[in-house]
Amino acid sequence: MAGGGSLGGGGRSKRGKSSKRKAKKRVGFVLDMTPLVDITFLLLTFFMFTTTMATPQVMEMKVPPEIDVPVEVKESQLLSILIDDEGNLYYFRAQEEAEELKMKDLRNLAIKENLNQINDLIIVLKVSDNVDYGTVVEALDELNLAEAGIVDEMRVNRNQPNFERKRKFTIADFTDDDREKIGITVPETGGSE
Amino acid sequence: MPKVKKKRVGFVIDMTPLVDITFLLLTFFMFTAKFKSEAEAEQKFFIERPLASADTSKLPEQDLAIVKIAFPDSTKQDTSYFYEMTNETDWVAVKSGIEGLTPEQMQGAQLQVSIETLEALIKRTYVVNSETSMAIDADKSIRFKWVSDAMEVLSTNKFTKFNYVTKKR
Repeated sequence: MAGGGSLGGGGRSKRGKSSKRKAKKRVGFVLDMTPLVDITFLLLTFFMFTTTMATPQVMEMKVPPEIDVPVEVKESQLLSILIDDEGNLYYFRAQEEAEELKMKDLRNLAIKENLNQINDLIIVLKVSDNVDYGTVVEALDELNLAEAGIVDEMRVNRNQPNFERKRKFTIADFTDDDREKIGITVPETGGSE
Repeated sequence: MPKVKKKRVGFVIDMTPLVDITFLLLTFFMFTAKFKSEAEAEQKFFIERPLASADTSKLPEQDLAIVKIAFPDSTKQDTSYFYEMTNETDWVAVKSGIEGLTPEQMQGAQLQVSIETLEALIKRTYVVNSETSMAIDADKSIRFKWVSDAMEVLSTNKFTKFNYVTKKR
C-alpha cells in the first residue's frame, strides 16, 4: 500500500515541519485570583475580629493580708463547709452538728443561707490538706455561682434593684475539732498543721 | 483523506475552589494555634487543670508570675513547685538576687524549686516589681496542702490577690 508508505513518510516530514513551526507556544495558564483573594481577606478579617487568643481562664482569689489582731465575729453568722480527705462535704452552722452535703447541693445551700442573713453570713471553707485540689476548685466554683443566684434573687424576686452584695468568705484550716465533728478519729501523733 | 487530529494543548483545571479551601484551613489553623512561651517549651510535665464554670476573666499577659504545682514525671509520685515570669527583665533581676542558683538555672525560663526557694523568689519578685500579678497553676489531682502552702507564702509576702488557672467546664 503506497498510501500507507506515503503516510509514514509524511508523518516524519510533518514532525520535522512542526518542530520548525514552533510559533504558537503555550503561555502557561491564567488564573483569576480575584475571588480567591476576596474570600481569603473576608475570612481573615472575620477571624481577626471574632477570635480571642486561647488564653487559659482564671478564678480570682483574694486572701486577707496577715494581721495579728483577731477579728471578732458572731458565731451565729458562721456557716462552715468542710471538705474531708476523700472530698466529701459537710456543713454546720455556728457550733451545730455537722451534716453531710453533696457537691450539687452546695450552691443552693449557699444561696439559701445567705438569703437568711443577707450580707452578714460568713462562709468558712475548711479544707483538709489531703484532698485533691480539683475538688476545692469545684467547691469554690459552686460558691462563686451562688453569688449570682443571691444577687438575682434579691434584685428580681425581692424587688431591691439597688441591692449591693458584700461577700464574706474565708478559707480556714481543717482542725482536729472539725475531724471529730464529722466522725473521723484523730490520730494521736498526727493532726493538721 | 487522513483524519486531522486536533492536538491536545494540555488540560485546564480551575484552581480557585482548591485554593479557597486551602486558605480557609490555613487561617483556621493559624488562629487556633497557641504559641508556647519559652518556659512552656522547657516544661516536661503536663498540668491537668481543674474545671471551673465559664468566666470572662483571663490570665493577664504582662508582668505575670506563675507558680506551677505539678507532678514532674508521669508516675505522679512526686509533687514539685515551679516558678516562672513573663517579664524577661524582671525575671533576670529576680534570679540575680537569689543565691545558690546554678548557671544552668540562671539561663532557664522555668525553675523547679523547693518551698523555701519559692518564698525567696516571691519576696524578690515583690521587691523587683510589686505590680506583678500572681497565678497558681496546679494539677487538679495534687494534694491541697501544696496549694495552701503556696497561698500562705504568697499572702505573707503581700500578694493577697492571685488567680487560679482553670479550664472551662
